[in-house]
Amino acid sequence: MGYNPDKPMDGRISDLGPPHYEKFFPPVIKANKGKWLWHEITQPGVLLHKSETGDEVYTVRVGSPRLVSVEYIREVCEIADKHCDGFLRFTTRNNIEFMVDSKEKVQPLLDTLTSYGNKYPVGGTGAGVTNIVHTQGWVHCHTPATDASGVVKAVMDELFDYFTSMTLPAQVRIALACCLNMCGAVHASDIAILGIHRKPPMIDHKRITGVCELPLAIASCPLGAVKPAKAMVDGKEIKTVKVTVERCMFCGNCYTMCPAMPLADPEGDGIAILVGGKVSNRISHPKFSKLVIPFLPNTTPRWPETVAAVKKILEAYAADARKYERLGDWAERIGWEKFFEKCDIPFTEKSIDDYRLAYDTWRTTTQFKFTSHIK
Amino acid sequence: MPTIEHNGKSFEVDEDGFLLKGDDFNQEWVDYVKGVEGISEMTDEHVKVIDALQEYYKKNGIAPMVRILSKTTGFPLKRIYELFPSGPGKGACKMAGLPKPTGCV
Repeated sequence: MGYNPDKPMDGRISDLGPPHYEKFFPPVIKANKGKWLWHEITQPGVLLHKSETGDEVYTVRVGSPRLVSVEYIREVCEIADKHCDGFLRFTTRNNIEFMVDSKEKVQPLLDTLTSYGNKYPVGGTGAGVTNIVHTQGWVHCHTPATDASGVVKAVMDELFDYFTSMTLPAQVRIALACCLNMCGAVHASDIAILGIHRKPPMIDHKRITGVCELPLAIASCPLGAVKPAKAMVDGKEIKTVKVTVERCMFCGNCYTMCPAMPLADPEGDGIAILVGGKVSNRISHPKFSKLVIPFLPNTTPRWPETVAAVKKILEAYAADARKYERLGDWAERIGWEKFFEKCDIPFTEKSIDDYRLAYDTWRTTTQFKFTSHIK
Repeated sequence: MPTIEHNGKSFEVDEDGFLLKGDDFNQEWVDYVKGVEGISEMTDEHVKVIDALQEYYKKNGIAPMVRILSKTTGFPLKRIYELFPSGPGKGACKMAGLPKPTGCV
């Protein structure tokens, strides 16, 4: 039955939830669920899992741009039909995994993937750089300070060799969010790329009455910079808000709540780089990433400054960190002053926390190292 | 922004069909939204929800939280969805002439 707009509730099906995941298990996964003994990475992008029943599963991990067309998905399905009996999965970092149940089937699959050129790059395993978790950017969102897909493509092009190899001390997770809503993983990633604003919102008094719930805009401000105010519009006094510019740190929360307070600005907006976050509990506890570069411009379409900054940090880490050491572990071991020196990043006052619980982040010890990179 | 004509009255609305000026609210608006939201007949319960929303908005400058709407009207969320199939935000607030809900919706 087709949808009838005159009777929208007729024959309406709802609250089904997603289909049960077991329906989409490859047979070998279904048969060995909960029985896996060990696994190994046979080569970058290829994993082997061994079951107590003796069964083997070879997984081939492939990079994807996350934002894909139906044509792309159909092509992925074709590959899965040809080699994996029609089964495949996506990882939590939006890579694609093709699974086969014997070693002989791996090479033909790899050959098929290679035949597409770099469209389906095999990699993303072990101590390398896997896919970048990212957001919508200028493709779809209304609050971004930078683009997502464009920056991700530029960065991954530069770091491509790290995707297809496993040469780093530990895996490096890179994430991007196009505003500090931080959709995704930037607050807890080894290297995080974050869109930021540098100008206060512009208030459109003409529209504000109809489109804003003023108390929400006022309550949305983390610094109490938005205050109720009155303004004259067409000779009539209306209720509106004003922004204390000296208190505003350009988070954009008020624009999220109130469409009449836009703050995006081509020159003001750009990118901040944060580093040192992680979510695993391996050896050290999970960490938040910390701000190290306060501003890089939005230089479309290749963001050369951002790409260079990410690469520099990654290479300094790769050259200096010990095996198994995540970027944050490394920075904490050598001390953040040494991190700034080794990565040749000028330290600015923007990296000094000044928000509420800031005190704990300052140095309350005489233990520090002299550094020399800033004259 | 588009203008909607209904029963001889005209309304300025945004692309989602929310009133841009709350002052434009009147019975024709209710009648118009009734059509687009798939509500076959206005009942006292519909009116009670609309009145509660408008009263709260007039007093506080914001739309009530869902729990407050349920408490003041006495309708559980399920009933509100039965009355307004699009829900309290897209359905009831639109009909009541309140601003479009914002945030990550």
